[in-house]
Amino acid sequence: MSTSQLALSVLLLPVVGAILLAGRGWRLPRTFTKIVGPGVVWASFAATLVLFFNNASGDFTYWTWIKSGSFEVPFNLLVDNLSIFMCLVITGVGALIVTYSVGYMEHEDGPSYARFFTYMDVFIFSMLLLVLAGNFVFLIVGWAMVGLSSYLLIGFWYQRRSAVLAARKAFVMNVIGDAGMILGTFVLFVSYQAITYSGVFRAIAGLHECVYPRACIAPLAHPLDSPTLELAAFLLLVGAIAKSAQLPLHTWLPDAMEGPTPVSALIHAATMVTAGVYLIGRMHPIYDIATYAHGTVAIVGAVTALFAATIAIVQTDIKRVLAYSTMSQIGYMFLAVGIGAYAAGFFHLLAHAFFKALLFMAAGNVIHAMHDEQDMRKYGGLFRQLPRTSWSFLIGSLALVGVIPLVGFFSKEQILGAALSKPDDSLALAVWVIGAATALITGFYTGRMWWMAFGGKPSPERPVAVPHEARLVMMVPVLILAALSVVGGFIQTRALGIGPSSFSDFLFPVLGRMSWEEGAGVVVAGLVTMALATLLFLAARRFYVERSWKPWSSRLPWAQRLLERKYYFDEIYDSAFVRPMDGIADVGLRDIEKPVFDGVVVGTGRAAVAGASSLSLTQSGYFRNYVLVFVGGAVVAAVLLLIRANS
Amino acid sequence: MSGLSIGGSQIDASWFLILAAILFIIGTAGVLVRRNPLVILICIELMLNAANLTLVVFSLQLHNLEGQLFALMSMTVAAAEAVVGLAILVDIFHVRDVEDIDELSEMKG
Repeated sequence: MSTSQLALSVLLLPVVGAILLAGRGWRLPRTFTKIVGPGVVWASFAATLVLFFNNASGDFTYWTWIKSGSFEVPFNLLVDNLSIFMCLVITGVGALIVTYSVGYMEHEDGPSYARFFTYMDVFIFSMLLLVLAGNFVFLIVGWAMVGLSSYLLIGFWYQRRSAVLAARKAFVMNVIGDAGMILGTFVLFVSYQAITYSGVFRAIAGLHECVYPRACIAPLAHPLDSPTLELAAFLLLVGAIAKSAQLPLHTWLPDAMEGPTPVSALIHAATMVTAGVYLIGRMHPIYDIATYAHGTVAIVGAVTALFAATIAIVQTDIKRVLAYSTMSQIGYMFLAVGIGAYAAGFFHLLAHAFFKALLFMAAGNVIHAMHDEQDMRKYGGLFRQLPRTSWSFLIGSLALVGVIPLVGFFSKEQILGAALSKPDDSLALAVWVIGAATALITGFYTGRMWWMAFGGKPSPERPVAVPHEARLVMMVPVLILAALSVVGGFIQTRALGIGPSSFSDFLFPVLGRMSWEEGAGVVVAGLVTMALATLLFLAARRFYVERSWKPWSSRLPWAQRLLERKYYFDEIYDSAFVRPMDGIADVGLRDIEKPVFDGVVVGTGRAAVAGASSLSLTQSGYFRNYVLVFVGGAVVAAVLLLIRANS
Repeated sequence: MSGLSIGGSQIDASWFLILAAILFIIGTAGVLVRRNPLVILICIELMLNAANLTLVVFSLQLHNLEGQLFALMSMTVAAAEAVVGLAILVDIFHVRDVEDIDELSEMKG
C-alpha cells in the first residue's frame, strides 16, 4: 500500500465506521456497535503508526474538487511529521477514549448507543481531515465539521434543556471562529492566488525572501512585516481562539461539559480544542512574519492561562474544574507557539492529551460510581474506596501540576524555560511571569480538586456509601494513559537541560527549532516553580481536608464572588450581545417584519383582488357589448392605420 | 382605374369593393343591433362573404390565384364555424327558448 493510499485510509476508516453504525446499525446486536465503534479508530491508529514508522511525508493530490478557470481546489492531504503527530494523538488517545465509552455509555438504549459511536467516529474523521488537509478549503471543511460533531455530542442528551443550550452556545461561538477562518483564507487567496498550503507558503517566501521550511531563517532577526499577512494572521487567530476556547471566545467550553464525559475527554480536552494550536503551528510561515499577530497569540494564551486557572479555584463541579484547567493549559500552548517555541507548544499538547484525557476519564469513573453526582463537595474520602481510579487521578493531577518526572513537568517547564530565556524580548518575559504564576495557581486548584474529592472523610451528602470500582473496559484506558503520563516525559527532557530531545527533533523538519538557546537559569527556575506548585498542592490539604487554615475566601469575599461568576463574562455577553440582539429582533418583528414585509405580501394579494373585481365590471355578459367594443376597436385601429398611411 | 373583364364587359373593380363594404357594414350592423341569435349568425356569414368577395376581386385584379384559394379556405372555415355556432344554439334551445341574445348573460363578471 502506497503512502498516499495509507494516508487516505487513515482518514476514511472512521467514516466507514460511522456509515456502518448510522441508520439501522442499532438493529444489529450491541456487540456490533462495541466492535465497530472503537475498532475503526484503532485501525486508523494502526495505519497512522505505519506512516510514522515509515517516516512518510508528501503532499498527495487525489482529485480536483473545484476547477473554474485558473481557480482550482484540489483534494490533497499533507503528510508530514506535524500531521502524523497530530494523527497519532487523535487516533491513539481517541481510540482509548472511544473504547472507554463502550463501558461509560452502557446505560444508553440501543439507538442512542449506536448514535453516540456514530458521532464519535464522525468527530475523529473531521479532526483527521482538519490536520491532514493540504489546502485551506478542506481545512475549513474539517474545522467546521469538528464544530458540528462537537455540537452533536454536547447536545447528545437532547432531552436536557441545559445540554441543548450548551450545544447551541458552543456552535455559535465556533461559527464566529469559522467566519474568521474563511475571511483569513479569502485574504490569503486574494493576495497570493493560492489555496494550497504549499502554494501560499511559497508565495509568502518569495515575497518576503524567507524560505520554507522555517529551519532556514532566523525569525525576528529581520522583522519583515506586511499588513496583508497581519490581517490574515489576525483573522486566522479568531478561528483559533474560538476553537481553542481562549479569551474572549471561551464561554462555551465550561458549558460544553454538559456532554457525556468521554466527549469532554476526547473533544474538549485532548483533540478539538487544541486545533487552534495546530493551526498556528501549521501557519507558522505566516506568523513568523506577522509579528503583531504572533505577539497577540502569546498574550491571549498567557492571559487565558491565568484567567482560567483563577476561575478553576472556586468551581465545585469536578468536570468544570477540569474544563477551566483545559482552557488554562491550552493557554500555555498558545503562549508557547506565540513566542515561537513551536515544538514546546506541541509537546505540551501531547502531554495535555495524556493527562487531561486521563483526568476526565478517571473523573468519569468517579461520576459513574457516584451515580452521576458531579459536585466535589459531596464526594470526599474516595481514595481508599476506589484505589485504582484514585491512583490514576493522582498521577494525572500531579502531571497537571507539573511534578517531576511526570510528563507535565517536562512540557510545561520547557515552555516556561523558552519564554524565560528568549533574548531581548520583554513580551516573552512578561508571559513567563504570567505563566509561572499560573503554574502556582494550577498547583493550588488541582490540590483543592484532589483533596476535596479523594481526601478526608466521606461527605455526609454522598449519594453512594460504598462505591464500586469501574469495569475493566473503563479502567484499562485510564491505566494506559496513566502509564503514558508517567513515562511520556522521557522522550523530551530538555526542561532539565539534559537528555533526549526526540520530540522536537521529530517536528524539526516542519517547525524548525527555537532560534535561541535556553539560558542557564532555566533549570533552576523550572525546579523552583515546580517545587512551589507542589507545595501549594499540599497546602490545599490544610484548607480543604484538615480545615486548619481558614478558607482564603473568608478574607476576600468579593474575589470569591468575582471568580464564582467567572468574571461576569456570561453576564457581559448577555447584556452586550444577546439581549440587544433579542431587542433588535423584537423591534424588527414588530416594526419591520409585520408592517413592511407582511404588509407587502398581504398588500399584493389585496391589490390583485381589488384590481380583479374592478376589472370584472367590464365583463357585462352581454354579447352585443363585446361586439361593440370589438368593432369599435377595429375601427379605431383602421383609422390609425389610414392616418399613418397618409402621413 | 383598372377594370375587370367579366362576361365580356369591363367593370371597374371599385364597384365590387363598394358592394363588399356595403355587405360588410350591413352584416356588422346586424350583429350589433339584432337580438335573435340565428339572425346574428346569418349576419356573421354575411360579413364573411363580404370578405370573400374582396379576396376574389383582388385575386382577379392582381392575376394572383392565391386570393381565390383563400376564399375557398375561408368558406370551409365559415362552414365549420356555422356548424359550431348552430350546435351551441341548438343546445341552448334544448334548455330554453331564447329569442333575445341579451338573455344569455350568465357570464357576467
